[in-house]
Amino acid sequence: MWELFVRSLDASIVLAIAALGELIGQRSGVLNVGIEGVMLFGATFGFIVAQTTGDYTTGFIAAIAIGAIIGLMHGVFSITLGVDQVVSGMGIWILGFGLTTYIGNPYTGPLGMARIDRIGGLSPFFYLALALIFLTWFVLNKTSLGLKIRSVGENPEVAEVSGVSVNRIRYLCVIVSGMLMGLAGGVYGLSYNPVWNYNFLMGWGFIALALVFFSMWNPFIMFGGAVLFGALWQLALSPEFILPGVMSRYLWRMVPFVITIVVLVLMSTRWFRTHWGAAKPEALGVPYKKEG
Amino acid sequence: MKIGEHELKLVKRVDLPWWNAMIISIISVIVALILFSLVFVHSGVNPLTGFKEIFQFAFLNRNGLPLTINRSIFIFLCTCAFIIPYRAGLWNIGMAGQLYAGALGAFGVMYLFGAKGDPNLYIAPGIGIPLMMIGAMFAGGAIGGIAGFLRGRFNVNEIVTTMMLNSIGFWFISYMVKEGGPFMNPVGRSESFDLPLSVRAPLVFGAPFTMIVALLLAILLYWVFAKTRIGYKIKSYGLNPLAAKYSGINPQVIPVLVFVLGGMIAGLAAYHYFGAMPGVFKIARNYAEFGDLSFYGIICGLIAQGNPLAAIPVSLLFGGLTNGGRFAQGKLQMGFGVDYALLGVMMITMVVLQFFYRYKIVWIKPEKEISDVGIIR
Repeated sequence: MWELFVRSLDASIVLAIAALGELIGQRSGVLNVGIEGVMLFGATFGFIVAQTTGDYTTGFIAAIAIGAIIGLMHGVFSITLGVDQVVSGMGIWILGFGLTTYIGNPYTGPLGMARIDRIGGLSPFFYLALALIFLTWFVLNKTSLGLKIRSVGENPEVAEVSGVSVNRIRYLCVIVSGMLMGLAGGVYGLSYNPVWNYNFLMGWGFIALALVFFSMWNPFIMFGGAVLFGALWQLALSPEFILPGVMSRYLWRMVPFVITIVVLVLMSTRWFRTHWGAAKPEALGVPYKKEG
Repeated sequence: MKIGEHELKLVKRVDLPWWNAMIISIISVIVALILFSLVFVHSGVNPLTGFKEIFQFAFLNRNGLPLTINRSIFIFLCTCAFIIPYRAGLWNIGMAGQLYAGALGAFGVMYLFGAKGDPNLYIAPGIGIPLMMIGAMFAGGAIGGIAGFLRGRFNVNEIVTTMMLNSIGFWFISYMVKEGGPFMNPVGRSESFDLPLSVRAPLVFGAPFTMIVALLLAILLYWVFAKTRIGYKIKSYGLNPLAAKYSGINPQVIPVLVFVLGGMIAGLAAYHYFGAMPGVFKIARNYAEFGDLSFYGIICGLIAQGNPLAAIPVSLLFGGLTNGGRFAQGKLQMGFGVDYALLGVMMITMVVLQFFYRYKIVWIKPEKEISDVGIIR
């Protein structure tokens, strides 16, 4: 049972870090629907680099670096060029899906390195994720940088007039966001599921996107959601822990996705929104062009 | 930027005439192919040789051409499944899920006829084939409709929903055809039962009859978008849902409508591949590969810019490229996934080139300053 708990927490960590990245980007008004693509890049490059150098740290640095590059790319497309953010995000997803399939294919198979040591029985990334989540909450809500980020996400025109460089803040957020997504991919490919296969994330990026909508843009609620989803995912993988022999294992695999849709629907009802006041950034997904 | 006397300048577009849009699309394809040649270079293959192999196999080879046509029909149908919601400003990335549902719908009809394990069962083709198509379209449309309904009624992001439905569909079809699932092949392979001989669709000019269906569909959709009231409603909802609402368009109905139609066409794509393709006639064990292939619908839809007629040549090109890519990969001993790499490169150039929908580059030739005006010598 403990093993199941630890595994489900491992899954939650990946989702939480990726969703945290998306949350930061969205708070500054930039929607990136291509999380899956960034994570695939992070997972694949992290995997390849770690395997060739035999060093986990280098692998994670590679994952974060490629995440930053892809994040920057999304920034150039959606901030500077003003391309529709959904189009750009979709492009990043399919670029990640296509290129990593080709690049990673010679590395198909297990990583073949000793597993990363656990600290206090839990993955070290659990503590890292907690720290990052707390840090994000602190920066967003308690610092002047956070105020700038939120103002840029709510009303860029007003932020610009009050002396905040909208594009600079958005670039910062998009790059940090890409780094976190790349890191999440690295944690997936090097710690949670260190067996490379093409498209081995199987939609986790989109689940992370759903988590951000679920979180009402609050990092702590997001983490709660990630923990619940991780447990759900792990139970669907090994249903014999609760209900042995009730359904085919393939049908169990559908359950987390069905529940994601149901939860999103509940969150979107008018009752829920008026009672809980979802704090969706006003300018989310709207390209900003400085006048003049 | 200045080049000699001329100046290159970025100017915001006021409108986008169709031939400009077409030029942008063509340029993006060319740029993508040039970038893609890096993949050949990376594998130590001369890009020209690579492209020659791809195009020769895809369009000039007796074995390759039918495969290209079959793939192109499939991609074309997926493109239409993407285009209809795209016209309404919505993203259908759930072709894969709708496809799996469609395959199960078509084979479900045959299952009800008792076709499992009896390949010699006689079902009048005039009844069996249309019923399979209807089954496929019904199932695909139902899955698509879920995403549309949730978007229209509750404003749930359709990208997330369709993607979740893709995963649900993938595991469901796996359940149905693997490990003793209801549709599993009686011989024990991890694929569906074979279609009875009597309902294996006839070929028209050596291609599945679904080719005719696809061509008719292209014309029909073009007409719907260009001439009918419903096409106009879809377009105006896509341009501005709020304004559309005030002009009397029901904002809850349009998403359902476009997603049901899109899903139905994706279901038809499933029927095409698993029900009408010579040599297949079952849910083949590589069904997931066709789920991946359906993502080409997104790219083709973007390149064709939502125009169903333009989607025909675009689908043909990509059918050929993926098919020839697979062939070149084997012949030139390149790594697996050449066609996937093309998919990625193509998509990202398309995104960059979107910039030129809003801006254009103009040449400005400065007028010569007349230096000696007013000077009396």
